[in-house]
Amino acid sequence: MNEILHFPKDGQPHFAPNQWQILSWDQDEGGIPDLEHGPSKVLVPFAWWVKHHKEQDILARAQAGQIGVWFAADDDILKHADLLEEGKTLWPLVAAHFPIFRDGRSFSTAALLRERYSWDGEIRAIGDVLIDQLLQGARAGFDSFALRSDQDKDVALKQFDLFSVTTQNSWRGKRTTLNL
Amino acid sequence: MYKYDHIDQTLVDQRVAQFRDQVERRLNGTLPEEEFRPLRLQNGLYHQRHAYMLRVAIPYGLLSAKQLRMLALIADKYDRGYGHFTTRQNIQYNWVELEETPNILADLAKVEMHAIQTSGNCIRNITSDAFAGVAADEYVDPRPICELLRQWSTLHPEFAHLPRKFKFAINGAKEDRTILLCHDVGIELKKDAAGQLLADIYAGGGMGRTPILGSLIKQALPWQLLPSYLTALLRVYNRFGRRDNLYKARIKILVKALGPEEFARQVEGEWAHIVDGDDNFTQAEWERVAQHFTKPAYKTLPPLSTEQLLAQLGSVEGNERIAFTHWLERNVRSHQVPGYASVILSLKPHGVPPGDVTSAQMNAIADLADQYSFGELRATHEQNLVLADVEQAQLVALWRAAKKQNLVLPNIGLLTDIIACPGGDFCSLANAKSLPIAKAIQECFDDLDYLYDLGKITLNISGCINSCGHHHVGNIGVLGVDKDGEEWYQITLGGEQGNDAAIGKVIGPSFYADEIPDVMTNIINTYVGQRHEDESFISAYRRLGVAPFKEAAYAHAKKKVASEQAAGGAA
Repeated sequence: MNEILHFPKDGQPHFAPNQWQILSWDQDEGGIPDLEHGPSKVLVPFAWWVKHHKEQDILARAQAGQIGVWFAADDDILKHADLLEEGKTLWPLVAAHFPIFRDGRSFSTAALLRERYSWDGEIRAIGDVLIDQLLQGARAGFDSFALRSDQDKDVALKQFDLFSVTTQNSWRGKRTTLNL
Repeated sequence: MYKYDHIDQTLVDQRVAQFRDQVERRLNGTLPEEEFRPLRLQNGLYHQRHAYMLRVAIPYGLLSAKQLRMLALIADKYDRGYGHFTTRQNIQYNWVELEETPNILADLAKVEMHAIQTSGNCIRNITSDAFAGVAADEYVDPRPICELLRQWSTLHPEFAHLPRKFKFAINGAKEDRTILLCHDVGIELKKDAAGQLLADIYAGGGMGRTPILGSLIKQALPWQLLPSYLTALLRVYNRFGRRDNLYKARIKILVKALGPEEFARQVEGEWAHIVDGDDNFTQAEWERVAQHFTKPAYKTLPPLSTEQLLAQLGSVEGNERIAFTHWLERNVRSHQVPGYASVILSLKPHGVPPGDVTSAQMNAIADLADQYSFGELRATHEQNLVLADVEQAQLVALWRAAKKQNLVLPNIGLLTDIIACPGGDFCSLANAKSLPIAKAIQECFDDLDYLYDLGKITLNISGCINSCGHHHVGNIGVLGVDKDGEEWYQITLGGEQGNDAAIGKVIGPSFYADEIPDVMTNIINTYVGQRHEDESFISAYRRLGVAPFKEAAYAHAKKKVASEQAAGGAA
């Protein structure tokens, strides 16, 4: 899907054109992918960043705001606190990957990015992202979603206000039961 | 019992609307079955052998008469006039139509009920002591914590797609009636000398393919900190629990692989960052919830002795007197309040699937609850129902009324109080049928005097290794196994629930269904022949070891025993 579903923390859900290409690990040819033609920004695998982030041209691209990272479901982001802290000043965007819709590891990744690293930039859900994960993702810490291409956009937009009450805190707000 | 506030009600109503939309998308083809499956499971809807099955939550086993009448209505309106109480304080309907399920959920929501998280790889319906709040041996009434955690875990976004299902049990009594150690997380509540409510946390227990008892990983956790501690625990599991193999995905495998100490250390490490966060419970939340679990309006009554109760029976035939005496002993439990008792209605009349109740019985039981027990009931994990607050002076009247509904068989805790899953008659996971085995054993041991003489024996039957029938913790366990398309049954001995929880041991090669009554008879005869005076089956087993039972079990067995299966082998 060439459009990304955005749901900012204090905003309304909407679709907007995608500006980011995603580099998959098996596309790694050692250098920066082509950013001259097509989308000029790239999400690289976090493990790729670990390997290449000290290279001059990579760093230059990053400083120009053209590189973000995506976390695989089995990346342990707590093992790279230094890189995460550095990344907060470099990456315009991070993403967490769903290898299949029923794999919930990236919900914890998003929660940890928000809680532990105080990441206040965009976190995008990528991979097998379906309509019925949107609400959980939005509460866990995601604020944009690269929906799988077959998903109905109108149905997607309706997912975020299905519930007007909550019984546990989330990134979006405290539990409404505290107001009782 | 707990009454929904407008937030609880709004949540279940909106959940019904969400599920209605998901079902519509399934029916119009935009949501494929493979993607609908986890969604329907998280709302308790299974696709079984013959039809859809809906599993409805009875949170920590507590049920009102009004709710039971709705369960009866649903059985008549959408199913075949009956329901099945499960081993996890839920009720199941076996014959529902997918199209109807949103309407069933809407009807449930009218009486503050739902099917949220009764299945799926998420935090399941939380179970507890069926005698919570009334048991004479209780330290702490666990129900406020159960309810607070029910709310905390409901639609929890981070833990919606765990590696595998996740079951909580919560106990606050001296005797464990929750099989605490066989849960992913077991929470034992206590009070310290200053009256502070504390929780000991056990993790990594479970039945299934790899039965393991939980390990104590945290002691004396102040109750307010449960949400942050459990978030840390579940986060470690969500991130590092195995997802490559369905059979190794439960938290017990992670705890075993890391070792309980290392698992506890990782949880502590995560918890340190969030322990002071605003996830934790507040005193105001406690008060909001706990106000619903105050004591009912008990009268000041004199306690009655068995002799006084028997005197109330009046002049009846000897058999009736014996039946009532047995019922008092087996189906009536002591109560915190003088002059009151708790009564277990047996859902195990011989020949009926354990836990099955007709809609007519449900309505009658609701009437009994209204008349004799403040309009409330509890479901037990042994698949019986409890009237928790009965005046002793009303026991005779209750016994006579319940007898008309076939609910007074005095077999609670005895051999025929069988725990059994629905098995291969319904469940698409099952390898073998459970219900005909339960029936055959009940028919074989139909002499009540003999049953009574045998004393406490638990017999649990599962139709497959998922262990819904809790066979691992039965003194006698029966497990259905499939061998080359045939149904066989493996016997375990020595399992135990409660404070001395133990996992039973497989005695050897499995048996054909028609051998089971003989095998049971031989095992029981061995016990009867070798027991000391007043020695229970499990005590005798522990003293004698497996050898004499095993010898007896195979002595008269037909020669159909599978040759390839060695003693101790699991299915």
